[in-house]
Amino acid sequence: MTQFRLQGHKVLAVTVEGETFRAVTGAMVAYDGTVSFKHAGSGGGEGLRGAIKRRVTGESLALMECSGHGTVYLAREAADITVVPLAGDTLLVESSSVLAVGPGLRTDVQFTGLRGAASQQGLFTTSVTGNGEVAIVSDGPAVVLEVSPQYPLVVDPDAYVASLGRMTQSFVTDISWRNVVGEGSGEAFSLRFDGTGIVYIQPAER
Amino acid sequence: MPQFENVNSKVVKAQVRPGQQVASRRGAMLAYVGEVSFYPANASNAGGGMGGMGGGSGLMRMAGRAMAGEHTALMVGDGQGEVYYGYAGMCAEIIHLDGSQPLTAESSRLLAHDLSLNSSVVFLGRGGVRAMAGAAATGEGLFTTQLVGVGEVALLAHGDVFRLEVRPDRPIVVDPQAYVGHVGQVSLNVSLNVSWRNAVGRGSGEAIQLQATGQGTVLVQASEQKF
Amino acid sequence: MSQQPLNPYTLPADDNINPYTYCIELQKPWFMQKGRMIAYYGQMSFEALSRYSSMDAMVASRFSSPLYAHDWVVATGHGKLILGDRGYNINSYDLDDGNLTIRAANLLAFQTGLQLKQSIVPGFLTLIGTGKFVASSNGPVIFLEPPVRVDPQALVGWADCPSPSHHYDARWMQGFLAMASAAFGRESGEERQFDFTGAGTVLMQSSENVMEDPALLRTVQAQAEALSLPQMNTLAAALTRRSQQQY
Repeated sequence: MTQFRLQGHKVLAVTVEGETFRAVTGAMVAYDGTVSFKHAGSGGGEGLRGAIKRRVTGESLALMECSGHGTVYLAREAADITVVPLAGDTLLVESSSVLAVGPGLRTDVQFTGLRGAASQQGLFTTSVTGNGEVAIVSDGPAVVLEVSPQYPLVVDPDAYVASLGRMTQSFVTDISWRNVVGEGSGEAFSLRFDGTGIVYIQPAER
Repeated sequence: MPQFENVNSKVVKAQVRPGQQVASRRGAMLAYVGEVSFYPANASNAGGGMGGMGGGSGLMRMAGRAMAGEHTALMVGDGQGEVYYGYAGMCAEIIHLDGSQPLTAESSRLLAHDLSLNSSVVFLGRGGVRAMAGAAATGEGLFTTQLVGVGEVALLAHGDVFRLEVRPDRPIVVDPQAYVGHVGQVSLNVSLNVSWRNAVGRGSGEAIQLQATGQGTVLVQASEQKF
Repeated sequence: MSQQPLNPYTLPADDNINPYTYCIELQKPWFMQKGRMIAYYGQMSFEALSRYSSMDAMVASRFSSPLYAHDWVVATGHGKLILGDRGYNINSYDLDDGNLTIRAANLLAFQTGLQLKQSIVPGFLTLIGTGKFVASSNGPVIFLEPPVRVDPQALVGWADCPSPSHHYDARWMQGFLAMASAAFGRESGEERQFDFTGAGTVLMQSSENVMEDPALLRTVQAQAEALSLPQMNTLAAALTRRSQQQY
């Protein structure tokens, strides 16, 4: 069984025993045993339809397939790694924050709605669904925040990494918010999450 | 009291005493207590010997110039006191050498070391002299400094450093951008690997990989970017 | 391996969540640098200091630095406010009838019980009184006691002891190599330090990389207007040399 194990905060050790998992191209720093690496195609392993979708939406995700017997050590620019276990649910994550996707998980492109209209991120994001583990990266250790009907959450879009659960996103565009935005920041709005779920944020703005 | 100790993951505090000088990367001194002065290291005053820099074969002189081009000029800290070293917010890892095994590390990753250690520069790569000159730019090879003796060394890494054991029956493959150094009798073979290019994901240009065989420990950083 | 999600009840009040994020329990107003808020629960509003000008006596008396007012806001309301600063280390400190001078770029937020003034050392602010403040640094802060000499770029601030003086390493200045290097414009970066004496604490960050201070840039640009043409050329050459020296 493929195992995701954190070695410190910035390295993910994945042990494979005859299976295949996907990781972001270029994220490997070392490996032992016999492992082969193959481009997962421009669809990120989602097939031809996936490739087209990604080309059209501009949400690119360059993944490679790693298979064999051994341990692969993955890292991405010394960013902090969080492993999110999925049990049939769907994680929405920016493609630049994906590190590795376990076998048996399906990735796809999802429309995020107008959230992306004026922000640095595109209109689309990557979704990961199924049973297994997905490793995401953040600039600094991620802070995991709960959202519930009693406490909605407002987030700086540049600090947003990923989310899980049944939530709606809306904009907060009042003048008061714009005061919090510093010089050089592109954001004129913030994201508000209502509903039930979990949001991952990072200590740095993109 | 150890000569080098970590104050935190990015800063090393070094004890400097008469006869116990510290060589460091230029620009890495953050603060000091006591009376310590700093001056550039060159072949004549570099104590234990920067054998590869001043004299030696033509090849090594070229290596010296290329290294200087890599901005790895060294400074010597001399006097009596404590010096705090750090560089660019990178992580600083201390290696204690007890004389039994040499440490080989990428030259530009040396933060500071005991000046009494013997050092020499070894170029790892393919393509001979021309490759040496262009090594930093093309990624076709790396300059490594080998340190031998009893003393301490502080290395720089982008992100944490983790250690992988290399055994005769268990060779390791390392991304050269993530390679920090190794301790022991480890041979590094630099080779081209076409399927590696898929794994490493760089566009055009050739990608090299490092195969580590032998007996020892390889130090790897948690980033596929050198700095 | 997976963290427990936090919510307004489990988030710390006025404490770190991890070394790079800090959570303020907002009740009374706080002064905050713009752009450092990454998330919040509750009802809050953020008013730019420039809007206050001379109208609100409380604000006017507490924040006496026109140069930096542009970059600061007052946060009011209630809830849990999470701060982050470009992934730098964040810590809070309690000042107890004390005074602390800190690099403006490193100061993130402080309680309105403290008074802020502009220090005569360019790029630095002085906080006086009793209250909490939050500061960020490139790598963890290291506390040292004088006598100590600190690289100017690694310095974050100092408390209670007198302002530092410059220290020039005499041996370095006399050496032949030094003179030759200086002639070619190559500095070692080690010749000049800030020299601290007296009783107090010096705060140093773990890197010689200085954090950006937009107000400092504005100050320098404004002052550069007063330079003559030959002086400007000298300055341009010095800046070019410095930018080429990195790494």
